[in-house]
Amino acid sequence: MPVNPSVFVFIAWRNIWRYPVRSLLTVFALAGGLVMVILYSVLVEGISRQMVDYATEMSTGHLQLHRRAFVDEQDLYATLPWSYLDAIETRLPDISAAPRLYAAGLASAQASSTGVLMKAVDAVREPMVTSVLSQVRSGTVDLGPASPSEEGLERHNVVVGTQLAKNLKLQVGSELILVTQAADGSIGNGLFRIAAILNPVDTAFDRTGVLMSIEAFQAMMYLQTGFHELAIKTRDTADLEISQAALDATVRRLTAEQPLDALGGAALVRNWREINPTISDMLELSRSMVIVMGFIIVGLASFGMLNTMLMAVHERTHEFGILLAIGMKSRWLMLMVLIESFFLALISALAGAVIGVWSGRYIQRHGIDFSGTMPDGYDWAGMSFEPVMRGHLEPAHVISACLIMTLVAMLSSLFPCWRTVRLKPAEVMR
Amino acid sequence: MTLLSLQGICKTFRQGEIEVEALKNIDLDVDEGEFAALVGPSGSGKTTLLNIIGGLDAPTSGTAHLNGIDITRLKESQLSDFRLFQLGFIFQAYNLVPVLSALENVELIMILQGRPAKERRARAQHYLELVGLGREMNRRPSALSGGQQQRVAVARALACEPRLVLADEPTANLDSENASALLDIMHKLSREQKTTFIFSTHDPRVMERAERLIKLRDGRIESDAVVEQADRAVPA
Repeated sequence: MPVNPSVFVFIAWRNIWRYPVRSLLTVFALAGGLVMVILYSVLVEGISRQMVDYATEMSTGHLQLHRRAFVDEQDLYATLPWSYLDAIETRLPDISAAPRLYAAGLASAQASSTGVLMKAVDAVREPMVTSVLSQVRSGTVDLGPASPSEEGLERHNVVVGTQLAKNLKLQVGSELILVTQAADGSIGNGLFRIAAILNPVDTAFDRTGVLMSIEAFQAMMYLQTGFHELAIKTRDTADLEISQAALDATVRRLTAEQPLDALGGAALVRNWREINPTISDMLELSRSMVIVMGFIIVGLASFGMLNTMLMAVHERTHEFGILLAIGMKSRWLMLMVLIESFFLALISALAGAVIGVWSGRYIQRHGIDFSGTMPDGYDWAGMSFEPVMRGHLEPAHVISACLIMTLVAMLSSLFPCWRTVRLKPAEVMR
Repeated sequence: MTLLSLQGICKTFRQGEIEVEALKNIDLDVDEGEFAALVGPSGSGKTTLLNIIGGLDAPTSGTAHLNGIDITRLKESQLSDFRLFQLGFIFQAYNLVPVLSALENVELIMILQGRPAKERRARAQHYLELVGLGREMNRRPSALSGGQQQRVAVARALACEPRLVLADEPTANLDSENASALLDIMHKLSREQKTTFIFSTHDPRVMERAERLIKLRDGRIESDAVVEQADRAVPA
């Protein structure tokens, strides 16, 4: 007649509470390790999502379209015709597109000057793709014509980053002179008014970026032929590859219908991961680190389990000898010890998951505020973050952490189990 | 009818550099229903012989047949089944599972045997009542006296109706009153169930009750005598 294994479950459960203090200490150690793993994953996932959000929402968008020469050499003349923008918007109604133009220049304010990257955006289309224009620290985002200067000179509004404003001692309403080499070879220049200062978005833009309207850019640069960059936001980020393929096909048809000049190279569609490989790699690395850290933390905590089960087996050697003597098989004894370990791991997983989820949700909701020590936020992986570090609780990570903890805890109990299998009843009862 | 037959049993231990001969060429037959005591001073080989009979230890040479089965040839898992289904054990230090109640301890072997729940519960209750623990059956060992614990051990050994009960110094830790009560119970159950008992003991109280005294000295059987009721005496 087969043995009902529930008897071993029953005895194992009773055995756990034989020394409640020791069992609870083991549970605290394992649950504490699990809480740390969950919180670490919450922070990493939060930062990762912030990075993706910053990469896609603040600047890059989900997809971008360029000419090859612009990607390789920032060739000023490597533009795509304006007709492409209209055609793409017509043929792919599910996407939002924002054209951009770029040029390097020299910015001079009252006291000093510095090299800048001028970025021209469409004030109507840009908010439909990124939220860069809503990251206002002071002033009002207005890229239209400004009031004339005291000398009666024509001015346009521009928007700059926090660090550039600090470096050039700019405030909202300050004047800025931009000098550059225009597309026709002449010296292009213009007088601008600071309409707004943006929060740190990405490190490079924060230090050197000047946002202006496409009209102002064209007037200064004498570059009417097209745009350098088309940033695109897709409706569903999960289907990024599908959207990329659709855009790529559309651009191919367009280039067949309206051929591009040879000098600027082919049109190139890339997704945000291809554009920001560092961020993409950082994300992969961060997520791998969560697993590695998880194993390390839980591995350390599971030494508590190893100690508990070794003690339990050592203390009960004589009792195990008796059980073997009365006919219990070694494998049943091993099963009983494994079930005890499983119960300890299960209780720890439940306790750790409850505390970890509760703490993780708190961090997700309120974040960790560093504004006292870092009012301007912090830079990481070339991106500027708000001073509040926000977490994100991913249920799949909690489940994985619980499984890792249970697995490691069970592995750590294999050695004590192995010792029970080797017991010889006559020897241990002697 | 012979239940147990030992032939030429030798057991040698190695203690460091020295080889110790614990048992020397033991020949012994025990019939069904016997109430036999292995007596002798410490180190005479009583426990070693009991361990070999119980399949807990293997002899260096010789054969041990129980109910026609040569237990010296059984593999580990077969020995487990042999002990589970054929033998009952009573130990000196009670050796109950501390996390189980008296009733659950008595049921344990029957659970391992795979007996139906109703049957084993009824048998466990019956045997606990027989040993006078009807009211204490739900107590854990820590809530029972030494005598009561040993009575639970007796109930555990007998509830599954083994062919042979091996008891290693069962009264060593008991006072006279409890030892006497326990021996009465074991003797009564032995008579009623025709269960064969082999004790190892150097307790005169057990020897007085034994129906056969097998005296061991230095690993050999020094004397083997059936003790008649009238001339029972404590051997020197």
